[in-house]
Amino acid sequence: MGNCLKGSSTDDLSPLRNAETTSETTTSEQPWIPYREVNPGGPIFYPSPGISCSVNQLSEEDQVKIAKKLGFIQHLPTGTYDGCKKNRECVICMIEFIVGDPVRYLPCLHIYHKKCIDAWLMRSFTCPSCMEPVDAALLTSYETK
Amino acid sequence: MAGLSPSERRLQKELMSLMKEPPPGMEVDSDKAEQNLNLWTIHMKGAEGTLYDGEEFQLQFKFGPKYPFDSPEVTFIGNNIPVHPHVYSNGHICLSILTDDWSPALSVQSVCLSIVSMLSSCKEKKRPPDNTFYVKTCNKNPKKTKWWYHDDSV
Ligand SMILES: [Zn+2]
Ligand SMILES: [Zn+2]
Repeated sequence: MGNCLKGSSTDDLSPLRNAETTSETTTSEQPWIPYREVNPGGPIFYPSPGISCSVNQLSEEDQVKIAKKLGFIQHLPTGTYDGCKKNRECVICMIEFIVGDPVRYLPCLHIYHKKCIDAWLMRSFTCPSCMEPVDAALLTSYETK
Repeated sequence: MAGLSPSERRLQKELMSLMKEPPPGMEVDSDKAEQNLNLWTIHMKGAEGTLYDGEEFQLQFKFGPKYPFDSPEVTFIGNNIPVHPHVYSNGHICLSILTDDWSPALSVQSVCLSIVSMLSSCKEKKRPPDNTFYVKTCNKNPKKTKWWYHDDSV
């Protein structure tokens, strides 16, 4: 029989909403963040799913994690949509691909708009469609093909 | 649809398709949803041949600005909260796709279908064992609850 154990979460994120504006810590290309936070604080990152904070509140460790994530995402192959009939729509924004749209391929061969999947991968290394983990092992096997 | 954020555009699309082809036994309150795209009410009928046959429920969906990257906040509202081992009497639902297992490929429709199937597979109508304590102490937002999903078979 189901028993859903749980405890109340203590990390109320509301103080983060009043974040001061931040200075950019990276000069490299920022990921496109389609869903902007209401607060005027700098870019919002997701150290783990469901937890967001602006860059000045991150520990050094988190910043390294984010840099790694960014670097990893950049290694996933990208391209432009070629009109392939198998993938007609990006399931994240639910908009049909148009030939020439920048897309990113995951190792499971699901494709998404680059900007849509990048925003998701910052939160979770799983394919939204098949929940296949997009991990480093898969990535290397992909690269050596 | 000019001037809409990606999140609003997607919600608009989902709303249209739910209105045009609603899943069996479900109806979205389209007037309400059109007034406020971030707060939907869905009327749901208990599936035939299940313990909830003949009952009607209302589900509320609250969408944040980061939908679909963030899951919607989904609760039962109204007078009739289904009596189910994963549904608290305040309407909170213990269902992993609403928090940990959320994916942006899920939609309002797929969430509704999961909830219907969760109800349909129920063999005994009862509240979760810790209902009284939970309802007294929980946060208003069920997403703030750190659920431990012990058993998906119910
Ligand atoms: Zn997209
Ligand atoms: Zn996939």
